[in-house]
Amino acid sequence: MHGCASHIIFNNLVFSSAKFQHYIFYPFHKLLSIVTLSKRISKKHFLTLTFLFFAFTILAQKKITGVITNSVNVPMVGVTVAIKNNSTGTTTDTTGNFTILANQGDVLIVSYVGYQTQEIKIDGQPILVLSLSESFINLDEIFLTGYTFQKLKEITGSVAIVKAKDLTAVPAGQVEQMLQGRVAGLNVITSGMPGGGSNVRLHGIGNFGDVTPLYIIDGVQGDINNLNPGDIESLQVLKDAGAYAMYGVRGGNGVIIITTRNGKIGKTKIDYDFYIGTTQPLQKGPDLLNPQEMADLTWLALRNSGQLAPNGNPFDRYYGNGPTAVLPDYLIAGPFRGLFEGDPRVNPDLYNIDFTAPPLYQITPSNKTGTDWFHEVFKPAISQNHSITVSGANDKNKYLFSLGYLDQQGTLLNTYLKRFTARINTIFSVDDKIRIGENLQLSYRDNPRIASQQGPNDNEIFGTFTSQTILPVYDIKGGWSTLQDDGVFLRDNMVARRTIAKDDRTNYWETFGNVWAEADFLKDFSFRTQFGGTLTTYYLYNFIFGGYNSTQSGLPNNHLSESSGYRRSWTWTNTLNFSKTFLNDHTIKVLAGTEAISNYNRETGGGTFGFFTNDPNYRFLNNGSPSTQTNYSFAGASTLSSFISRINYGFKEKYFLSGTLRNDGSSVFGPENRYGWFPSLSAAWRITEENFLKEWLWLTDLKLRASWGKTGFYGNTDPFNQYSLFGGSVGDAYYDIYGISTGSIQQGFRATRIGEPKTGWQEDIVVNAGFESILWNGKLNITVDWYKKKSKGLLFPITLPDVVGGAAPPNINVGNVQNTGVDVLLGSKGRFSKNWKWDATITLTTYKNKIIQLNDLPFFSPPVDQAGPFVRNEVGHPVSSFYGYKIIGFFQSTNDVIKSPIQDAAAAGRFKYQDTDGDGTITDLDRVYYGNANPKFTAGINIGISYKDFDFSTFCYGSFGNDVLNVTRALTDFFSSYGFSPAKSKTALYNSWTPQNPNAQAPIVENDFNFSNIGAVNSYLLEDGSYFRNKVMTLGYALPKSWLQKIKIEKLRIYVQAVNLFTITGYTGLDPELSGLSAAYGIDFGNYPDSQKQWLLGLNVNF
Amino acid sequence: MKYFRILLTFFTAGLVIYACSKKYLDKRALGELDEAALANKKGVEGLLIGAYSLLDGIGGNKSGFGSAGSNWIYVSICGSEAYIGSFQNDRGNTSIAAFERFTATATNENLASKWGTLYDGIQRANDVLRIMKKAKDISEADQKRIAAEAKFLRAHYHFEAKKMWNKVPYIDESISYTAGNYRVGNDKDIWPDIENDLKYAVDSLPPTSDRGVGRAIKYTAMALLAKAYIFQKKFAEAKPLLEAITSSGKYQLVNYHNNFNPETKNSSESVFSVQMSVNDGAAGLNGNYGDLSNFPGTGMFGSQPGACCGTFQPSQYLVNHFKTDAITGLPDLDNFNVVNVKYDSALKSTDPFTPYTGTLDSRLDWTVGRRGIPYLDWGNHPGNDWIIDQNYGGPYSPKKNVYYKSQETHLTDAEFWGNVTTANNVNLIRYADVLLWAAEVEVEIGSLEKAKDYVNEVRRRAADPSGWVKKADGTPAANYKVGEYTNAWTDKSFAIKAVRYERMLELAMEGHRFFDLVRWGIADTEINAYIQKEKQMRTYLNSVVFKKNCNEYFAIPQTQIDLSAGSDGVRKMKQNPSCN
Repeated sequence: MHGCASHIIFNNLVFSSAKFQHYIFYPFHKLLSIVTLSKRISKKHFLTLTFLFFAFTILAQKKITGVITNSVNVPMVGVTVAIKNNSTGTTTDTTGNFTILANQGDVLIVSYVGYQTQEIKIDGQPILVLSLSESFINLDEIFLTGYTFQKLKEITGSVAIVKAKDLTAVPAGQVEQMLQGRVAGLNVITSGMPGGGSNVRLHGIGNFGDVTPLYIIDGVQGDINNLNPGDIESLQVLKDAGAYAMYGVRGGNGVIIITTRNGKIGKTKIDYDFYIGTTQPLQKGPDLLNPQEMADLTWLALRNSGQLAPNGNPFDRYYGNGPTAVLPDYLIAGPFRGLFEGDPRVNPDLYNIDFTAPPLYQITPSNKTGTDWFHEVFKPAISQNHSITVSGANDKNKYLFSLGYLDQQGTLLNTYLKRFTARINTIFSVDDKIRIGENLQLSYRDNPRIASQQGPNDNEIFGTFTSQTILPVYDIKGGWSTLQDDGVFLRDNMVARRTIAKDDRTNYWETFGNVWAEADFLKDFSFRTQFGGTLTTYYLYNFIFGGYNSTQSGLPNNHLSESSGYRRSWTWTNTLNFSKTFLNDHTIKVLAGTEAISNYNRETGGGTFGFFTNDPNYRFLNNGSPSTQTNYSFAGASTLSSFISRINYGFKEKYFLSGTLRNDGSSVFGPENRYGWFPSLSAAWRITEENFLKEWLWLTDLKLRASWGKTGFYGNTDPFNQYSLFGGSVGDAYYDIYGISTGSIQQGFRATRIGEPKTGWQEDIVVNAGFESILWNGKLNITVDWYKKKSKGLLFPITLPDVVGGAAPPNINVGNVQNTGVDVLLGSKGRFSKNWKWDATITLTTYKNKIIQLNDLPFFSPPVDQAGPFVRNEVGHPVSSFYGYKIIGFFQSTNDVIKSPIQDAAAAGRFKYQDTDGDGTITDLDRVYYGNANPKFTAGINIGISYKDFDFSTFCYGSFGNDVLNVTRALTDFFSSYGFSPAKSKTALYNSWTPQNPNAQAPIVENDFNFSNIGAVNSYLLEDGSYFRNKVMTLGYALPKSWLQKIKIEKLRIYVQAVNLFTITGYTGLDPELSGLSAAYGIDFGNYPDSQKQWLLGLNVNF
Repeated sequence: MKYFRILLTFFTAGLVIYACSKKYLDKRALGELDEAALANKKGVEGLLIGAYSLLDGIGGNKSGFGSAGSNWIYVSICGSEAYIGSFQNDRGNTSIAAFERFTATATNENLASKWGTLYDGIQRANDVLRIMKKAKDISEADQKRIAAEAKFLRAHYHFEAKKMWNKVPYIDESISYTAGNYRVGNDKDIWPDIENDLKYAVDSLPPTSDRGVGRAIKYTAMALLAKAYIFQKKFAEAKPLLEAITSSGKYQLVNYHNNFNPETKNSSESVFSVQMSVNDGAAGLNGNYGDLSNFPGTGMFGSQPGACCGTFQPSQYLVNHFKTDAITGLPDLDNFNVVNVKYDSALKSTDPFTPYTGTLDSRLDWTVGRRGIPYLDWGNHPGNDWIIDQNYGGPYSPKKNVYYKSQETHLTDAEFWGNVTTANNVNLIRYADVLLWAAEVEVEIGSLEKAKDYVNEVRRRAADPSGWVKKADGTPAANYKVGEYTNAWTDKSFAIKAVRYERMLELAMEGHRFFDLVRWGIADTEINAYIQKEKQMRTYLNSVVFKKNCNEYFAIPQTQIDLSAGSDGVRKMKQNPSCN
């Protein structure tokens, strides 16, 4: 009866998984059909069971035969059948049958790659009928975590693994962008600018500065953006302190460990991957008024403000002085404005824009239909990527060579990322005990970009929102048109700016890698030494063409600036390993070692004005005007010295305990706070190994985990933070005390930096608890983690009142932040039938962020030039909270003004603010927190389906419940707005307050800037930034093997791909996906949209 | 085994680095000096230069238009001397336009810029005092002088803040980040502190200096202290100081325009000036950078002075002040603004125009660029061609801050675009200013006749034809007629009016007007009268009102008030009265 029982279990397993399969994959079928199907299957297996039961009682022989099928009853060829604790083994033949000699009571191990390994006891069965279930997970797979390799099942920390295949499914230029939505707990906000940075945030915002995780590439801290995604073998995100405390002070933002590929045993393989595609600019740019509407708005504003000329009409130097605004035929002719056809002053013979031969006389027509500046600078762009890899290995040595080329053109003119990469990875076994190896990556990057979008910078995208539509791109003779006298802060011609930028260079050369040696000794010990690092040299080149007016290039002279520099960083790690299994069940692994890191960078540069010609071949610094030559250099240095240790204990592959301890010493901090200890403890219990769960066969694996640990962070701290420093340049500290006027200025000094030797580490105390479960052999897996991360002593430049002077404030331990949240990963893989397969993942990320303490500060704000005046960080509120007066409506009448609380500049049609403190007067005490940029949750959904040689996959990403400040509306929705002379929106003209439109969106149109319209920081700009986006959709087809064999190709797959096919959002700006500073993000200053559609055609070939 | 040995060596070496990490982790700062490097005579003198260098308001991390040492926004735009100018949609200056309309709020960036730059200057002066204490090689005499210069500068910067905001904190060298006492309130009146610093400077500074014309000497300190007294109406205290200056023989009036020409700057009329410098490697940052938009230019390089941006256009009200009686050459103190000096609005440069033919004070045409009058060596001001939008900003151009064509690229900065930064000094105190203070003091507590003499001394120069603007043929550019007050001054209220009026004529567009109006207590009446008349031409002034007991002082930057609280949230600084 014994053997019978095991068969019952076995059959039940088949039954269960089959049933599960139907439940999961035909969820919308009628219940009836599922029940019928289940019945049919159970009936069939019941018959098998009955047959086996009788067979067992009749036969008991040494020669065992059997047949192995897969779960859909197709015989399996080449399955390994071996006797446990014996070297005897065989494989199944083409009909799935096998024969093996075995004794009664032996245990057969049946295994096949990609299938769940089965053990079966010989207990008198006549014929073994085994049905192998596909295994979608391999718990014995080995991954690199903190300085050591671990089996998946042994990992006690929270570690998310991203497969290279999933990463490269999104055709992004940078690995960071590929991580979006792939890992529960990891928020990635990215930008459409080629090579533009992404915000990668693990478990919310743990500090106010740089929250980018630490990237460890083959054991060395590296720049992920120079990595060819095709070189990645696997990527592990260490998510809790149990996993990343090992990285001590660098680990506080989480650690992402990347292992690059190497050769696999077998014949030499050649892989070639290629795609080409086009990116389309957003169809809908800013919603701006056409020239006549703009003129009408001007008239409306001037009338509403009572700013009328003596004849009772408004006036404007372009639109005249009539009852209605009239568009001129010409905007400019020399010094004259607003001219009409036939005027002698628009005579083309007078035209002159040669600034070296004044007087200048530009003639610019008006574009009465309106220039669409957005689509003048955003054009369709082509991207392509090639990657070729040659790899191979034998049992002693492994090698891999790869070459990659990426040319990602941005839709904004002259923005692109070109990257060449080459990689050589090798491993040699010197003898049985000693291995040496290296990883080497050479990369070259050419990546011109536009000015940062973080903060109200005058960048080109911002410009397309604010350039007047009446201005054409070109004047009458093809020169760049501008409204020449519109002041320094007014608009350039954005097309001119982007076109002139074509010669700019931002080139980076990077050598990155490591060499290592590893030796085993004394049976249980091994030692590893590794030296690696980065050497980056870069070169920047900018040439400004001489201009004929102040806004066209900002300079009457041409100007060349060049700079170059280098950064080097090395990491030297020495570790000693001990690994031993005692008494069969107890495994102990110990690691101890040291690590030293050293960074240095230096840059030199110079500039000169006044080149005789714009000829590119003449552009050398010494060719400009000698009196205008300038030069500079600067440098930085820091070091880190560490001790690392780790102990892992495992019992029966069931209980695991792990402890780590690191000591870091950093040159960044003063001697009293230089060293920090970072311990962690973590434990895991594979509950499915317990007998009481053995019968739950549907539950393949369930691991409960918990961890506690302390990590740290010291990024965004100047290496010289501890020192009070003085310096001063000609412009900011020198003074012509002798009154000579030129060239005799005296050297002066000023305090440049306030030092704070007491500043120490930021400490993150992270508690994490969760479980990883695998159901039905991986058909379903669920991982859930809860975490609480308390970050103490956040490092941030203290916001000091101006009375302390103009020196840069030091980073101090400004306060404490707490993040709590839950990460959920749901994965499912399987087959519907022989030809249909699926693979689906959902990640859910939530975090709740709260500032819990600020040290001697009421609040602090990020710098205005980066965040505008909108953000304030204060205890009890999340980081990057929007702060200001809350608009509760409009004043509807003078009577309303009288009845309402007293408010500066209150008038009908203007904003009415909330009287928060109820004192009847609107003061600065009435300001409130009216929103914040942190999402309630983010989710990634990945679905892949394949049928025979076709594969389809799609990936969606969504962010929900996050607020956005749409600053572009501050410029376009108000006639009078600060900063620039912008174009205006349809909202301003058609949806602004009038007595007839009391519930308008925008306030009354007026030529006035005051506390009750846009002169105070208020909640007008707030919008819901939630969105859901189809990031990528791919359809691929692998050519039949039978065709390919003839041309000696192993695999050839072609695919088409659509990127950003649709975005569902209520946000009115270009794209609600807004990166920024951690202390202030979600602010739209005209971001490079990431939501542009892209169409690609790709090819994978393996030889 | 030999590999093991090699590896073991590595391991040991790694441990050694870790063990010796103390030295390995000591990294000195690169590219900057520490306090010890400056705690000596040369270093402290350098810090003092650094404290001087913010007199122009440019060079701190907050500096901008709003912090310009000339105070053009606050003084001339708020003080009815000038309009923002340029044109209506020039909202590059909208945060400045708020001053013209008296709607600047506590978040106005210009106010933040001014505040930040002044306190930067104050702490630079404090750094001199703090670090000098640690230096060992400075003689006692030098220490005294250096301390006096530093305290003088500290007083000047505080004085500027006092004029702007009235209630401001006084920051001496005991207040620093390191001391942890930087959350300071503005509840105290800082006049006594300003006086103390200036008294120290008066007592300690030498009467002359060969260390640079830009330095404060005894008389500079006396003048500033006198000014501080006058602002407090402490005329009796001011009087001896002013007399000491006038009797020193050190100062005299020079050719009027020499005060506004970089080639003749630092004359014997200059008491305290911001030294401007160009072509010095700073790309214009030391050359009136905060006033770079204040040129008639319409953006066309080469044909007109500057390239930017047509702001700072003198008002009709200012111009009208300069009308004089055809017989006496004296101004009409009461009715000057009834009839406008003829102007060329709504005319193209090609249309014929004859300038005003009535008698005028000669200083008008060194102060205001107007059509048909030689504009330095740029030829006659052409009117409309140099004006961005006459309808908006009126027909006039500023002049005192403008350079000669012959000085272009030599005394303007070639590294910065458009010749908009110049070596023209900003006169903080010139001798004529001192004389008019003396006149004011005499009116208030002394002899009206003496006051008249002081005023006449100033007028006498204006009456001297050698200092007038001339046409190419050497004849006066306009019908100038300047006379002295010959009738005895017997009526104090008339005398007050005459002295105040003379300050407008003599010192227009030089950074005094608004603060004068406020200290005289007549800002509301004067400015509202100005608005009433001017809004007929400048329609954007239609709804503008100067609110008494509110608009006299500016709003303290909101951020600074917010930051005056510690973690207890109690804000030590209080905002000025609201305009509600």
